[in-house]
Amino acid sequence: MKQARWGVVVLATGLLVGLISSIGSAANLSLTSEAFTPYRTCTITATPAITTAVIDATVRQGSATTNFGAITTLTVSSGSGINQRTYVKFDLTTCSPVIPATAVVRLATLRLYLTAVPTLCRTLDVFPVTVAWTESGVTWNNQPFGTTINNPPTASRTGTFSVGTPAGCQNQATGSYVTGGTVTSDVASFVSGGSANLGWMIRDDVEGSATTRTTTLSAKELATVAQAPQLVVTYVTVP
Amino acid sequence: MRRAVGLVLLGAASAILGAAASVALSSDSLGAANSATPRCTVAGLTVFQNLSAGTVVSITIGSLPAACGGATVQATVNNGVTSGSGSASVPAGGGSVTVTLGAAPLVTANEQTDLVVLGP
Repeated sequence: MKQARWGVVVLATGLLVGLISSIGSAANLSLTSEAFTPYRTCTITATPAITTAVIDATVRQGSATTNFGAITTLTVSSGSGINQRTYVKFDLTTCSPVIPATAVVRLATLRLYLTAVPTLCRTLDVFPVTVAWTESGVTWNNQPFGTTINNPPTASRTGTFSVGTPAGCQNQATGSYVTGGTVTSDVASFVSGGSANLGWMIRDDVEGSATTRTTTLSAKELATVAQAPQLVVTYVTVP
Repeated sequence: MRRAVGLVLLGAASAILGAAASVALSSDSLGAANSATPRCTVAGLTVFQNLSAGTVVSITIGSLPAACGGATVQATVNNGVTSGSGSASVPAGGGSVTVTLGAAPLVTANEQTDLVVLGP
């Protein structure tokens, strides 16, 4: 009788060992890897029109003390004594979730909606701003880059695109967002803390043209969401 | 008596069979390691919203290299209130692909788009 009980105990133990061994065999995991490319994108849109997450303004040499932060257009113009520049800034901290400082910014694109293009192909340059400015206060005379035309020099631009109706120009037609407004290195620096995010200034590559050449873009004050200025930042948190 | 002996033998056999399923490891600890998964691109992709009546109905993903041809793009756009997802196949040769969202989030000050390229 004792042997019978002992046999039952051994049988139960054997089954338990088998069960544990089977569970233990989970150590033999077979992983199948598949190409996997994750990205995260934050799209900041200048909406509603009263948002403070995006500020934009034009400064006009011909109206040097007037602020144009509340009008519905942004303009970039080259002309004799009537140059115009556009300032725009996007608050990256509005991204939800916030872009980590350790993130790798793969691409950042400044998107401005074209409503008028010059008849000659003009190169527009994008410069990161290094002095604070406000939408309701900036004018030609007090702008961060000063009143000297063709300053800062072209060499210090961090982005560029061309606009104009001639064939071969990068942005020939109105009614769409500009192509080529890449500002990846600037945004990467803003995100990592390498430099302060004070936005960008866009000017004609050669200011002071004898014949006025003007590009017109939609400002946030137009209150048309499909034309609102945008900043699109694509990044990865694990390179 | 015979039955008892039989049970003992059966129990011992079960233990042996169970033990046979176990894995003999030369080390008493398992190591951890990182292994990079293959990716068809590490370059930046353009991710632009397509709007209708102030909502994001689809997104167009561009700058996809030829190496991503045949892959599946899965995307989710989230504005904090509404989340819309969809997927599409990258054409052979790469280029761009438009992903139509199952729900259309309203355009707000910011939207988050999560994007995964699976394969090819």
